[in-house]
Amino acid sequence: MAQNYLFTNLLGSFVFDGQFNLIDSINFNTLDDYSNSAKHEQKLAATHKPKLTTQQLLEKPNSKILQQILPYFKDKTNFSHFYSQNMAMTAYLIKQAVNEDDFIIQAINNVEEIDKVANTLAKRLREWYELYNPEFSRSIESHEMFVELILSKTKQELLKEIKHDENLLGADLKKQDIEPMLNLARSIRELYSLKQKHTDYLENLMDTYCKNIKEIAGALIGAKLLEHAKSLRHLAVLPASTIQILGAEKALFRHIKTNSRPPKYGVLISHPFISRAKQKDRGKIARALANKLALAAKVDYYKGEFIGDKLRAEIEKKFS
Amino acid sequence: MQTTKFPGIFESQVGRKRILLTKNLVKGRKVYDEYLHTEGNTEYREWNAAKSKLCAAILKNINQIGIKPGDLVLYLGASSGTTPSHVSDIVGSDGFIFGLDFAPRVVRDLVFLAKDRKNIAPILADANKPETYATRISTVDVVYMDIAQKNQTEIFLKNCSLFLKNDGYALLAIKARSIDVTKRPSLIFEEVRKLLEREMKLIDYKALDPFQLDHMMFVCKKK
Repeated sequence: MAQNYLFTNLLGSFVFDGQFNLIDSINFNTLDDYSNSAKHEQKLAATHKPKLTTQQLLEKPNSKILQQILPYFKDKTNFSHFYSQNMAMTAYLIKQAVNEDDFIIQAINNVEEIDKVANTLAKRLREWYELYNPEFSRSIESHEMFVELILSKTKQELLKEIKHDENLLGADLKKQDIEPMLNLARSIRELYSLKQKHTDYLENLMDTYCKNIKEIAGALIGAKLLEHAKSLRHLAVLPASTIQILGAEKALFRHIKTNSRPPKYGVLISHPFISRAKQKDRGKIARALANKLALAAKVDYYKGEFIGDKLRAEIEKKFS
Repeated sequence: MQTTKFPGIFESQVGRKRILLTKNLVKGRKVYDEYLHTEGNTEYREWNAAKSKLCAAILKNINQIGIKPGDLVLYLGASSGTTPSHVSDIVGSDGFIFGLDFAPRVVRDLVFLAKDRKNIAPILADANKPETYATRISTVDVVYMDIAQKNQTEIFLKNCSLFLKNDGYALLAIKARSIDVTKRPSLIFEEVRKLLEREMKLIDYKALDPFQLDHMMFVCKKK
């Protein structure tokens, strides 16, 4: 009567009899042996005709059998073997775990950080430059334009451009004192062009990975949603109500704890549909948007066809 | 440097503060930003109670931790290896740790730690699915679990029933806030205690404030 059990783990393939004594085994030396364990298992199974194999044992982890087998491996002599095999396997799994989710999350975080850094530096540049030419700095709002213009034109040209013929407050600086400012401006310009490159990269990624989300939310907001959900898989299983308030966790927990007013939107706030709308419509639009995004995420994760434009049109129709 | 009632763990007085230390397994190496103390020929690593729930529990005078030199430990929720590194100091080169975590990002740090410390085996797996890593570990002397999951007690019991030896100790750090943010922590701890007592022998439990708020460490023994 075959009362044997066949159990394969990282260390090898083992056959135990009904009293859980080891009767036969094949040891694995490398992870490749474990990956090709089916071959070894078949060999052992052919001679011993086991009642249960690894697969069946693992299906019922709470059956007493597995609990009787595992103590066999609890031995100091196995430690180094467990170490090397687990190291190899974990290394392999970590490598496998890298996917588009990670690229998108890194890219969006980087775009946001570049933005923050460029802003800080631009504010410093303006402060500095206003010693020299305050009228021009005040006449132009956009940092990016400001940096571009002070690099391409001289003080006189700039003043002429804003029709400010006489220089009232700016000091006349020597060339050696102007040059450091312009160096800073060049670095900031570099940062803006880097941000543009990374945004393009992000757009491309989103286009291939989650088209529908990108169509409805735009690349930046879509990426931020992914960042909060940690992965597209997770975003696809989230309910629309959660997607609606992703990014407003603090307000949400404050609401749960103290019964304050619940948040209406999280990262969705910067979506043009919402930022354009009247205050009293914003909650409704956020809800509708989140509904469609939940659908889009599911379609994207299960590699469905492109329905983003239809979903977007539905919202537009509803709130126009 | 004085010994404590737990083998492998030492204590010292810094001003009016009592600190815990473990013997550094890899001399001269820091794991996080802890202080290293040298006495004679041995180097000790200071154990930060604000970062490690196990340390906090010992400082709160828990009466048993079950981990001793030479033990085989299953550490669920190893993260980047702050507490596991001290557990690795305690069990020493004769002991061994299966350090398990679910997030690839932190397991990456754990792998680098394990390169220094040959008594930690990093495992990337979901503690909620013991069947997925049953082929990667063996029965163990101690189960330590610190994962912030809603069903952490259930996960804990599942793992103990499959991997813990008879009469083995099991430690569970519970974060009340991750079970339910709205409930009073004391009610949650009471529920957890009842669940644990159904299947295990409860030895001791200690709240971990002021080191960690709304946390409780439970020490059980397998029946």
